[in-house]
Amino acid sequence: MKYLRWNFSLRSKPSGKTRRFVRLLVFVAGLFPASDLFPQEQSQDKPKFEVDLSEFQKEIDKLATKPYSLGGFAEFQPTLLGIDRDSAVSRVRFFNKPQGSLFDQYNFRLRLEGSYKKDWFSMFFKTDTLVRNDFEGWDEDTKLFEAYASAKPNANFILETGKKVMKWGKGYAWNPVSFIAPPKNPEDPEEALEGTTVATADYIRSFDGPLKTLTLTTALIPVYEYVNAKFGEPRRVNFASKLYLLLYDTDIDLMVLTGSSRTTRYGFDFSKNLTTNLEIHGEFAVVNNLDKMAINASGQGFRTQSDALSQLIGLRYLSERETTYILEYYHNGAGYSRSQIKDFISFVDRSYQTFQTTGDDSGLVRASALLDGPYGQPNVGRHYLYFRASQKEAFDILYFTPAVTSIMNLTDGSLTVIPELAYSPMTNLELRFRTPVLLGKDGTEYGEKQNDYRIELRLRYHFGF
Amino acid sequence: MKDRFTKLLLALSFTLLFAIPAFSLDGTAILKKVDANLQPESFESYRKLINIEPSGAKREFLLYTLKKGNDKIASLFLSPASEKGRATLRLGDNMWLYIPNVGKPVRITSLQSVVGGVFNNADIMRLDYNVEYNVQKIDDEKSEHILELKAKTAAVAYDRLKMWVDKKAVVPTKIECYAATGLLIKTLYFKERKPFDEGIVRPSIIETDSPLYKGYQSILAYANVKKRIVPDEVFTLEFLAKIETIR
Repeated sequence: MKYLRWNFSLRSKPSGKTRRFVRLLVFVAGLFPASDLFPQEQSQDKPKFEVDLSEFQKEIDKLATKPYSLGGFAEFQPTLLGIDRDSAVSRVRFFNKPQGSLFDQYNFRLRLEGSYKKDWFSMFFKTDTLVRNDFEGWDEDTKLFEAYASAKPNANFILETGKKVMKWGKGYAWNPVSFIAPPKNPEDPEEALEGTTVATADYIRSFDGPLKTLTLTTALIPVYEYVNAKFGEPRRVNFASKLYLLLYDTDIDLMVLTGSSRTTRYGFDFSKNLTTNLEIHGEFAVVNNLDKMAINASGQGFRTQSDALSQLIGLRYLSERETTYILEYYHNGAGYSRSQIKDFISFVDRSYQTFQTTGDDSGLVRASALLDGPYGQPNVGRHYLYFRASQKEAFDILYFTPAVTSIMNLTDGSLTVIPELAYSPMTNLELRFRTPVLLGKDGTEYGEKQNDYRIELRLRYHFGF
Repeated sequence: MKDRFTKLLLALSFTLLFAIPAFSLDGTAILKKVDANLQPESFESYRKLINIEPSGAKREFLLYTLKKGNDKIASLFLSPASEKGRATLRLGDNMWLYIPNVGKPVRITSLQSVVGGVFNNADIMRLDYNVEYNVQKIDDEKSEHILELKAKTAAVAYDRLKMWVDKKAVVPTKIECYAATGLLIKTLYFKERKPFDEGIVRPSIIETDSPLYKGYQSILAYANVKKRIVPDEVFTLEFLAKIETIR
């Protein structure tokens, strides 16, 4: 079982990489002395804080005359990865690399955002640059996440064109109705995604009565060689639409995507506060004639076409002690069955044995391509449970939020558990420390992933002009 | 003599009869006047929220706020950079938070706090008191009325409020906020009255402390409170990410 190997690797003597990583963590921890973390009794003779209203007014006046903004964040994320050398994914990824069971990785990220507005016209952009260093050396990747122009002739109409993220759905970890945006990483669902090049029009109306808001969104999604190339069949223009209603204090969305790049799909979602501290949400999606590719244990590929029905139901609860619980069940109608996942793992095992005995790596190369494609989606199975508990201002430390997240594949019982500490010791600086642990038997989804565990620290500094 | 006494008695009775409404304390009318004196029914404003920790460390958040009518309020965070672009929307009992990175609004509850500290979402997106509370009791002190308010529905963040109202200015000086269990959640102090739009004098600073956050203090300072009526459509989820464009 996966956790047994993990325990073994913890008992083994720390490598130079581990020592380097731990030294880095200790150094970072030293930057923030404990006195900053824990609240101190307020001194009785401490002068009362006074607000300087004239300074406040000057700050507002300066903002009022500024039509543009520029900002973003710089991020440093060292990560120590505990590799499961016997897992299917690591065999595919590292079969020809003499890599041990531990390696450290250093990620540097720069996110830039800017905007400009004039009357009813505005523009926005967001770029993302990731520089990574690990045992393979340096790597750099810059992406234009968003860049679009927006026009609002009046409050009822919003017209936009360019590259932007269209996130649909009410789920926290998964969004089966998100037909346009790329899938989120359920381990980090709040992270920004790369947008899609679209032209959109929103029509908004407000009413008195049970129906308070109606918004109709329509979108054109062109797919060409250099525009939305990953979206689907090229040289096509696709159409998507979403109708949003705030009806009886319930958010309701009905959505559709049609065109020739992807098969037609329909969706429905809702969200409602049942009480002041309990919210319920759900999503339902139907994908018509989903073309799915799978392989058997011999590596023989076959395609099937069938309708795929996906559902998600979730709750968000805030306790009196200000602990937030999120629970979601997700049925992925487009996912692989238990036997299909086992077949893929068997194919990898066979290909690995062939490589070891004959040096023929063609099976593993093919498996690698499949992991970059259909078998590499964040959750490839069919039934999942997501749970997250986070405690706001634990131990009376302002801006400190410990949390634990778990994602379980209900079909095979494998799971990941992610303890997390998030803290903002000063304005614009955010620290996050996480140690995702993957647990599962051989032949299960999480049991066959690349890592046994990760230890990662993220320092993010926001800036703005 | 008897006739004169009867006339005097009658005159006195009439005087008292008509004087009673003048002395009677109409709590609801006072509460409505308090609401009108605290903020216009529809307005825009800038607010600075300051969290002060026991160590003296402070963190400031600058918000732009739009309110319309009884049940619509939207706020946009302008600074610090880590919070810039976050926006909150309240439509009656419905509340949403938009975080630019997340890219879509998510429902939140009134008791949560989007910034941490003593103020919660219900404080930051407060509707008029008379919309959410009924006056249950009113006491009269030398220079202040003391109103005891009870939430109209269970969806309101605080079950009961005890409000001290300056008789002359008809603005609150202090509000104690209680849970249904009787637990004191926080106390709000209204300070530094100054003229805003059309010369109306309003408190420009609200301080709060809480027995649940010993040693912590939060302050909300108001500036540029101006009457502004924007279309209802501004208070919708689609517009939440675009409030900056109408500031």
